[in-house]
Parts: sequence; C-alpha cells; structure tokens
Amino acid sequence: MEQINNVGGFSAKKVDDKTLILFFGPQHPSSGHMRIIVKLDGDIIVESDPDIGYVHRTMEKLSETKEWIKNSVLFERLAILDAGNVTQAYIIALEKLLNVEPPPRALYLRTILSEINRISSHLYGMGIFAIMIGSSTGYMWFFGDREIMVQLAERITGSRLTHTYHIPGGVRRDVSNAFLEELEKGLNYIERRLKDYEVMFVNNPIIRSRLENVGVLSRERAIELGVTGPNLRASGVSYDVRVEEPYGAYQFVDFEVPVYKEGDALARTFQRFDEIRQSISILRQLIKSIPEGPVLNEKYLKLFTKKMKDIWDAEKRVKFPSIFANLRPPAGKAYGRVEEGRGEIFFYLESSGEAKPYRVRVVTPSFRNSILLKYLPVGERLADLPAIYGSIDYFPPEADR
Amino acid sequence: MLDSFILFIKNIILWPPVFYLLIAPGLVTILISLLLLIWAERKIAGRIQMRYGPLEISPKIGGAIQLVADLTRYMLQEIIIPRTVDTLPYLIAPIAGFIISLLPVAAIPISPIYFPSPMTNSIIVALALTTLPPILNILAAWASNNKFSLIGGARESFLIAAYELIVILSAIGAMVIYGTSDFTEAVSLQKNLWGIILNPISAIAFYVAVLMATGRFPFEIAEAEAEIVMGAYTEYSGLLYGLSMGISYTRMFVYNVIFSLLFLGGWQPFFTIGGHIFISYVLIPATVVILKALIVSLTMVFTRAIYGRLRIDQALGGAWKFWFLVAIVGLIWGSALTYLQQVI
Repeated sequence: MEQINNVGGFSAKKVDDKTLILFFGPQHPSSGHMRIIVKLDGDIIVESDPDIGYVHRTMEKLSETKEWIKNSVLFERLAILDAGNVTQAYIIALEKLLNVEPPPRALYLRTILSEINRISSHLYGMGIFAIMIGSSTGYMWFFGDREIMVQLAERITGSRLTHTYHIPGGVRRDVSNAFLEELEKGLNYIERRLKDYEVMFVNNPIIRSRLENVGVLSRERAIELGVTGPNLRASGVSYDVRVEEPYGAYQFVDFEVPVYKEGDALARTFQRFDEIRQSISILRQLIKSIPEGPVLNEKYLKLFTKKMKDIWDAEKRVKFPSIFANLRPPAGKAYGRVEEGRGEIFFYLESSGEAKPYRVRVVTPSFRNSILLKYLPVGERLADLPAIYGSIDYFPPEADR
Repeated sequence: MLDSFILFIKNIILWPPVFYLLIAPGLVTILISLLLLIWAERKIAGRIQMRYGPLEISPKIGGAIQLVADLTRYMLQEIIIPRTVDTLPYLIAPIAGFIISLLPVAAIPISPIYFPSPMTNSIIVALALTTLPPILNILAAWASNNKFSLIGGARESFLIAAYELIVILSAIGAMVIYGTSDFTEAVSLQKNLWGIILNPISAIAFYVAVLMATGRFPFEIAEAEAEIVMGAYTEYSGLLYGLSMGISYTRMFVYNVIFSLLFLGGWQPFFTIGGHIFISYVLIPATVVILKALIVSLTMVFTRAIYGRLRIDQALGGAWKFWFLVAIVGLIWGSALTYLQQVI
C-alpha cells in the first residue's frame, strides 16, 4: 500500500476500489480484545494489520508504584489462565535480586503448578480454537476438562486462577499426599481424554481439512520473526527455556521437547497435544520423586513467630513474616525467564534498593507471537483468519500488558 | 345457530388450503417441530458435550419449552434498525423469508386423498418454491449495508448455485423411477419398496444438498459466527432476528417432508380405521409423514455436535466436484432402473 501523505504522524492511504477493508474486531465474536484490519480481494486476504493494545493496563509502570511482593499479584493478571508461570518468572528474578534460594520441595511444588497451568492453558487455547473453526463439541470438551486442572491448581494454591502461590524463597502452601493421589487420577483422566480429542477434534476429517497447510510458518521465518513457544517448536526449532535454562525442578526430570517441522495450523495443534503428554509425564515423575522438607527458605523460616508456626503446623500454610511487606532488595538488575504455556515470558527487574521496583520490563510470549497475525493470514482466505488466530493461541491481555 | 357456527368454523379449518398452510404441515406443525428440533438439538449436543442443555425453563420436562421463552424474549426485545440500512427491504427480508420458506407446503400432500391443490406436477412446484427463500437472504444482506452481511450474502449466493442443482437432479433421479411428477402417485408407488432402496445414490445426494441448503454443519458457512458474525443477519435484532433464525429450520423441515415423500415412502405404511374418515385419511398419514421428516431433521441437527465448519472453497469444491457427480450418477441409476424394468 502506498503512503501518499504523512502529516503529524497520521498517514493517509490511497483507497483501492478493488479490495474490501474489513475491521475484524474489537467487537467480533472471535477477535478477542484486539482488532485485525484485513484487506480482502474477493475472499483472499491481501493485507492483515493486527491492531493491539485494547487492554493495555500500564502494568510495567504501575508496578513501580507498588511494593515488590504486591507486584506478584499484579503481574499474574497478565495471563490469568497461566498465572502460576507468570508469577514464577517474576519471583525468580526477584529471588536473584534478594539472593535467596527456595528449598527443593518448594521447587518441586512450583514445577507441579507450572505443568498443571501449562495443561490448563493449552486446553483453554484449544477450546477457543475449536469454537473458531466451528467445533462446539471441541469447545465444550476442552473447557470442561480444563476444569479438572483448574481444580487441581485450587487444591494446591487455594484459588482457581490467580494463585499468588510463589513468594521469594518458596511457596505459600504445602500439599498433602492425598493431593498427589488426586493429581495422578486427574492425569489419568486427561491422558484418556487426549485419545477422544484426537478422534473427535484433530482427526475429524472436516477439522483436519481446515487446518492442513493453513498458515504455514517456515523455520527461517519463525526465527526471523522472533516467534516463541509451541508456535516456534511446531516450525521445527527445538527451543524451550525449560531445557536451555532450567529452573524449578526441571533439572530433576526427564522430558522431551516435541518438535514438528510442518509449521501449519495442524502441526501447531499436534504440538500442543504432545506438550500436554509431556506435561503429564513430567508431573508423574514429580509425584514420585517429590522430597520432604520445608517449603520456604531457612532465612525466612527463622523469622516465624509462634503463632505463624502454629498455623504452619496445623494447616501447612505460610503466614508472611513482616519483612515481606517491606522487602528492600539491594540495588541491582536481574531477569527471570520461564517457559509459559504460550512461550517464553521474560522479566527484567531493576532495583535501586527501595521498597518499590525502579524499573520492570516484561516481554510476554503473546506479544512476540502477535506479529504472526500480520504475516500468516496473507494469501489465505477470510475463513482461515480465525483458524490461524486460534492456532497461534494468542491471548490479547497478555500481549497488551 | 351455535351448531351452524361451529360447523362453519370446522369447515373453514378443514378446508384443505387453510388446513395445509395453518395446521399440518403448515404453521402450527412447523412451530411445534421447531420447538422439538431446537430442543433436541440442544439436548443431544449437551449430552455429547458433557453438559445438560436447557434446564432453567420447565426443568421437569427437561427444558422442552425453552424455545417459547426465547421467542418471548425476542418479541419483547426492541428491534433496533440501524440508520444506515435500506429500511423497507431490511424489514421485508426476514418476514417474507419466513413466510416464503413455508410456501412449498401448498404443493406437498400429506394424505392420499386430501390435498390443498390437486396438481399432477406437485413435485416440480414444491421444488421450485423451495428455491425462493435464499433470495430474501441475499436481500437482507444487501439491505443491511454491513460488510459482514455482504460477505454472508455473497457466500449464500455461491452456495445456492452449488446445492440447488444437486437437490433438483436427485429429485429427478427419484422421479424417473416413479415415472411421475405427482407426490401422491409417487408415494402410492412406494407401497412395497421405498425410494431410498430403489435409488440410494440420489437419496444421499439429496440429503447432503439439504444440509448445505439449510446451513447445517459442516456447511454452516453463510452465517459462520467466528468469521462473519452472523452473515446476512448481522444487523438484525429482536423478533426479526428470531424469524431469521427460524428460516433455516423451517426450510430444513419442508425439505425433509419432501425427502420423506420422495424417498421414505411418505405416508406408507398406510392403513385405515373403519368409520373414521378424518382420522384414517388425514391424521394418521400426516403423523407418519411428519414423524419421518422429524427423524431425518434430527439426524441433520445432530451434525452440529460432530463437525466443524468447512471453508467456502472446500464446500463448493465438494459440491461441484463430488456431490454434483453423485447426483448425476443417481439420475443415471434411476433411468437405468426404469429402462431395465421396461425391458424385462
């Protein structure tokens, strides 16, 4: 498109009467909190312009006004369906600043929550994807079964979605052995259902024909655009923060990083199924090998009053020592990286020794993947736009921060 | 005085044109069928999708009258007419679309001796009348002055071209076997063998074309919610929206009455109860036909729970490259059968 005029930052574009400009969103059943301006030549998309920022909440700036510990509550609002992983990245960075290490049992519990979150995040993404290509059964199944994972997360953390489970030096609650048995049951159920999903959803001839060779992202293009997460791996690049820079208990478990080389919507769907299978295997290994012990660093345990110890003994629940309200990490910079359901989330924290952060910068996977909405739909049909949107598992609130 | 008045009313109601258009298989039957069909669609889908389906209204009968509640809501809702629409065609389109989609029943008999208009080519007239409603859909799309509506209308017009031919060719495939274009005669010829056994190829092609014509999954392309909001009816609200929703169900039911007359033996098995002419010649055959049509319609709404939505190019390619040929093969099969019957 030729830009004919630029006045004060506004750009005017020549009107082309052979094409139709369609505003796909923000009030569209499948656009989410964003707008995609598509230019159609007949039914073919010739230009696609994702317009993000409709749910920008100034999170990075807002966090400079809050105490360090309160920010973990703020940041889990980035991706409410994957809150455990988001908070974990922030807390990892904060722990680097504070120079504390969580005890092994806390690491295991964090990883258990991460993987439960990953499964529920994938099921959520898949559910949205299913309704976008018209499979209402897929939608209901994925969302219904996600409930199992959400309830398991509730059993660990006490809340369904915004867990606020991670704290510097450990986690807030311990789990009982009964929970681990429940978890095993839940995993067996999801594993059984994965076969049903394959029959009813991905291998359904109609759905398959909608996904195959749609929105193909080549390996080179994926690297060039800086795509992350399952979308990157479905294009043949084996890159996973859990392997590249292990955190939590990932160094103690054995798992594969599934990779597909086709890079189309179908490969991205299979990629997510395989990741759920790997998560199930990781969780099973964690259940078997979880060590006994405290869930909070010695340094903070020493500060417990008698009443806090009583609550810990009775309910296995950490009451915050008063130091948490007024954390003052020494001046410095730190980062935290975590492989979230949709890709790598990166936190950069800068402390000036105050009770509040000097600067926080977040790079979210959805933001990095949003560029795909500009390049993948071009040349495809209008009906493929929801299929591509759903297959990249884009989550606008996370991208907009 | 009162007796003669009751007789007068009875005569009016039982006058075939009135009875057909208002009672069976017309307005009343279609409304009851819609109630049952939409309820069954929600319940079956609910059962497959691990949920209950409608249960809030009348929980004792499984939420069966949910549609009544929905219709009441539509009736009480404000009808918002956007400033940019072409008001007259915008208003006419769903109303006329609903009425015209009922119109084929004027040519469809549901009893051997009691029919609205005696004609020798009722199959052709009924099929011709079923082709009218999509034009109103395109009118609604054009009058709405909305890009999503426009795309929906364009998709609908592409689909019409694809499915109409299949419907008509496969109907002819059945007609050549019976050697008549009269429903009554065609049904009486199916006394021993139903048309679906004589010509299964045409029957399957007809069935798929009806799926496509009435926007059932996987051909729910013209009003694909995730892509073009609501297709031609994006700008509609209130009762007009409710009517536009009813059009596709009404069309499906009417098509399936035709399907049961052509392929499923119509009112066969036909039997009479001595001394009760009205029951023998109107109620029983009508019930048999409507039940058959309802069962076929149920299988059609059931597809929602299994399939996703095809892309328009896939649906058109499938229609022209595969189902069109199937319809032709069905026609050839029917002709060959007739030829063999004459020779042997």
